[in-house]
Amino acid sequence: MSPGGETAARRTRFRMTDDVIATRARALAGALAESGFARLRVRDGETEIELRRAPRTVPAAAALTSLAAEPERAPDRPPDRAEMVSSDVVGIVRLMRPAIAEGQQLEGDREIAYVETLGIRNPVRSRGGGRVSAVFVTDGQPVEYGQPLFTIER
Amino acid sequence: MFKKVLIANRGEIALRINRACHELGIATVAIFSDADRQSLHVRHADEAFCVGPGPVARSYLNIPNIISAALISGCDAIHPGYGFLAENARFAEIAADHGLTFIGPKPSVIAAMGDKATAKRIMHDAGVPTTPGSGIVASADEALAIAEKIGFPVLLKATAGGGGKGMRAVAAAADLPTAFATAQAEAEASFKDGRMYVEKLLVNPRHIEVQVIADEHGGAVHLGERDCSVQKPSHQKLIEEAPAPALDPQLRDRLHAVAVKATRAVGYTNAGTLEFLVTGDDFYFMEMNTRIQVEHPVTELIYGVDLVKEQIRIAAGEPLGFTQDDLHPHGHAIEVRVNAEDPDNNFSPAAGTLATVVFPGGPGIRVDTHVYGGAMVPPFYDSLLAKIVAVGRSRESAILRMERALGETRIEGVKTTVDFCREVLANDEFCAGGIGVGWLPAFLARRAAVVS
Repeated sequence: MSPGGETAARRTRFRMTDDVIATRARALAGALAESGFARLRVRDGETEIELRRAPRTVPAAAALTSLAAEPERAPDRPPDRAEMVSSDVVGIVRLMRPAIAEGQQLEGDREIAYVETLGIRNPVRSRGGGRVSAVFVTDGQPVEYGQPLFTIER
Repeated sequence: MFKKVLIANRGEIALRINRACHELGIATVAIFSDADRQSLHVRHADEAFCVGPGPVARSYLNIPNIISAALISGCDAIHPGYGFLAENARFAEIAADHGLTFIGPKPSVIAAMGDKATAKRIMHDAGVPTTPGSGIVASADEALAIAEKIGFPVLLKATAGGGGKGMRAVAAAADLPTAFATAQAEAEASFKDGRMYVEKLLVNPRHIEVQVIADEHGGAVHLGERDCSVQKPSHQKLIEEAPAPALDPQLRDRLHAVAVKATRAVGYTNAGTLEFLVTGDDFYFMEMNTRIQVEHPVTELIYGVDLVKEQIRIAAGEPLGFTQDDLHPHGHAIEVRVNAEDPDNNFSPAAGTLATVVFPGGPGIRVDTHVYGGAMVPPFYDSLLAKIVAVGRSRESAILRMERALGETRIEGVKTTVDFCREVLANDEFCAGGIGVGWLPAFLARRAAVVS
């Protein structure tokens, strides 16, 4: 094969996963919640993750849970609980217009984005009201299964 | 040639495909489940997408997520490996519908060969010897009538069957109705297809298969045979070798010629394997696998051909780079499957964390694996940890090399088949060559009797 092809293969050495986005963001969000810091930025090679916390303090004991994993959560949850909303499909994320922004207050369960998979719209719902404390994705970004999209403080 | 290939598999075969792609200058996209996040196939690929949780139905069989990963990463082809979606004609069609080249034969050929009764009829019509038997039978009564005609013992087989499911050996007429009902129920439950057929049961035949490869321009060749007669009681292969030992040269030539003829007859393209049962001077077509096989390295080592690269080149529309006259085997190769299984407990699969992992090396040894020290063996998947392959100038030197290599191998944390395979390699009957598929189960029974 042509040496050019080989270079092309190396050039695409961009890693979507490698624990970077999915796992690391989840771990960092937990660390941030416990630390008391307002902002956390981690750079590793070409990947940079920045997490910011909304001004209101999340209690140290706040658990970070995946909504995708626990869809049937009771509505009378305790307040001040940060919940991760992650993608349960592989596709392109589409934020609603106007896009959900950090710090935005959501009233009740509503569609906050969708992930397009083979032309099918897979809605992402807030599963209840709360304050959007983090938006991890931009409109049109490819996402994998389990990838964090938003954190919502209840 | 393709720019980027999605590898729709996991484990050692995902790494094997990744290596072939990189040698061809093709970028790779891996898929993985939540349980395989730390697996080597994810690290070696240029990009990787998590496609679902551990259970295969939601990850490695999740067609929408896999196709979506291929599209959003800009792939132009998908290599399915073996298992999972490799022989799923629907998946191949869906890939094509989305502009992705499926690296394998045409969906219609996959479908025809995947249905065992259809495959047998097509092969019979193409002049390939098939075991005496029937087409689809409507009832146990009809099965009984055919069994009486061809003579007991017979095998009742589900046309959608595989892995021993939906299959029953029947020794006498009185046992047939019950066996038919249970095999059919099993096939209904496992494959949602209860259609059954009957064939003559051969006693202790050898399992000999022929590797073929064909391009899209009419080129079709064989790459000799492999002997896969060392099979667990579940009919899963454990040790494979090439060429088949103690095989009559004329019988070998006939096998090769029939395989190429059949390949052409079904309009086959890409790499495939025709499996035969051999007894005495006769051989019978069993099935055709429309994919790369686990044991392909033994063929690669004696022919000096990279089968996975050839698969990719052929799918990209290139003609075969060789003719039959260019292909000559050299020496002998043996493969041992290192499985996370307990040979002393019916090869029951084990899961856990691998504490120590040391693989062999040195002259004539090839190791294809995805595991390393500290790696997790998830409970969801096939138990294959590694394939150790030894090549030598003769069968004897390959066996000695393999014994040496297995002696160097250390895997701690789960039970494996390493030490058991060493016992097999040291056995006089195995070393003499030419054993049948009944040999290993009998060996196990003798061994259990000695132990207890």
